[in-house]
Amino acid sequence: MKELEKQYKKILSDYMIDKTEKNLYIGQNFIRQLIQKNVSPEDVVSIHKNAIAQIFPDRIKEVQSAYDFLIEVMVHYGMAHREHQSLLQKQAEFEIEMNIATNIQKTLLKTVIPQLSSVDIGMISIPIRKMNGDYVHFLQDQEDYLSVAVTDVVGKGVPAALCMSMVKFGLETLEYAYKDPSYVLEVINRVIEKGVDDSMFVSMFYGCLDIQNNIFSYASAGHEPALHYRANENTFYSLEAKGLLLGVLPEIKYSYNKISLKEQDIVIIMTDGVTEFRAHDDVNSREMITSLIAEHKHQSAQQLCNLLHKEIERIQDFKLSDDFSVVIIKKK
Amino acid sequence: MTVKSSVEIITEWDIVAARQLGRNEAKALGFGTVDQARITTAISELARNIYLYANIGFIEVERVETEAEKKIVIIASDKGPGIKDVRKVMEDGYSTTGGLGAGLPGVKRLMDSMDIQSIVGEGTIIRTEKRLC
Amino acid sequence: MDVLIHFKEDGAKLCGFVEGEIDTFTASGLREELEAVKITKGLEIELDLSKVNYMDSTGLGIFVAFYKRATREGGKVKLVGLSNRLQRLFEITGLSELMDIETDKKVEFS
Repeated sequence: MKELEKQYKKILSDYMIDKTEKNLYIGQNFIRQLIQKNVSPEDVVSIHKNAIAQIFPDRIKEVQSAYDFLIEVMVHYGMAHREHQSLLQKQAEFEIEMNIATNIQKTLLKTVIPQLSSVDIGMISIPIRKMNGDYVHFLQDQEDYLSVAVTDVVGKGVPAALCMSMVKFGLETLEYAYKDPSYVLEVINRVIEKGVDDSMFVSMFYGCLDIQNNIFSYASAGHEPALHYRANENTFYSLEAKGLLLGVLPEIKYSYNKISLKEQDIVIIMTDGVTEFRAHDDVNSREMITSLIAEHKHQSAQQLCNLLHKEIERIQDFKLSDDFSVVIIKKK
Repeated sequence: MTVKSSVEIITEWDIVAARQLGRNEAKALGFGTVDQARITTAISELARNIYLYANIGFIEVERVETEAEKKIVIIASDKGPGIKDVRKVMEDGYSTTGGLGAGLPGVKRLMDSMDIQSIVGEGTIIRTEKRLC
Repeated sequence: MDVLIHFKEDGAKLCGFVEGEIDTFTASGLREELEAVKITKGLEIELDLSKVNYMDSTGLGIFVAFYKRATREGGKVKLVGLSNRLQRLFEITGLSELMDIETDKKVEFS
């Protein structure tokens, strides 16, 4: 502190004599040093007071008590300042923790896209915040069956991510029953209903493709209807399936439907981040999606997913308002 | 040598008396202007908390002068509602968002150390020290 | 943009008027207001959503939570004045079959 006082006195008296911009600049650099060394505001006033006392020994008497008053005031500012600093540090710690959690979630909820010889699969899932409230789960049994679950947790961020881990482990324990969409939804519903609070739900579209017989069976729990492009008719059909969101009521039954999936047919499953445009409620998103897919139907499933994302991002001025996930399945 | 004095906090003006006592003792011990201001501010905050939340309590100021050390000890005690979660009131941001006036973490930083004993429904004793170095 | 709700008692019925945009950020205020509603057995609550111009799934969650609590405590909840967009949201999620919902659509001639 003594050394700092000496330097400050020198800088201040130089300025009192020359009064140039250069003096002020030197002062600024010095203050930077003080801040770095965590010198409190009340100490700065005290340093100033002592410097004045040395530069103008005969005048300090008049202003001494004014400086003492300022020191009292500055103690309070110093308190607020230090609290602020400590909060900043806390925030940095939270951020580190958040990043770790995000990475864990990424590993935990990593989706592996199956590679099959007769089915082309594409997927994209992009969180709006750090943590994703959407989750896509694939399951395959050789070249016989492929099942897919596309889920969206109500809400975003950390609570959604926590809930999603539960869904994932539910789906994993249901490996034995993946061919029955109704059963899968009914079990997951029970898991969520028991596990989380009244305002937390999940929507899920669950589909299972019998690859050998070209049959796609699907069920929905409050999820955005999927789209089915029939190549031979060059037409889109909405895969409507009624069913309540998961986690609202304990004993819910879900029904499932079947369609036949022919060569070059496409199934598009998405979350509401794809179809709901907050700022553009005049856009008919499903129409836009179908015409885009129809136009580029010869591209690969993954290319179609990327294209859809790019286009919708553009329509929303590159500010998506929700987690965004699409799965596209194309029969080769 | 230890010199003890105390002020009873009942009205807002007793806070001023507690401040005065703290400043006199800090000065007598040899603390400089800035530290006097810090100690006084700490006392002021503790006394204010008593006045606002416990209605009645005491601020005790101890001046400790031995061969080994010189320090000032402040003890704020009350028979108020007590603090349910001491860890929480010692967290930064709690008082500013919860409306508890200047926070205890701030007081702790003005001093060197702080110790809180509190029982819900019985009261609170806060002991805080600052050494002269 | 915030979301507001004010209540009016209409005989044995409690009417709530919701106004604004309900999303992740504004939702907590609405949730608190609805949680504060005292529900007595047989109480009918009508929530008017005709002035809600946006609602995301978080908003949906709040109404379901309120519906579940009201049902548990013996009250009845009805949502009225839903725009086409909101109605679609309740339909897709299967909630329109569970909850009592009335749209503001004019009666259509068949």
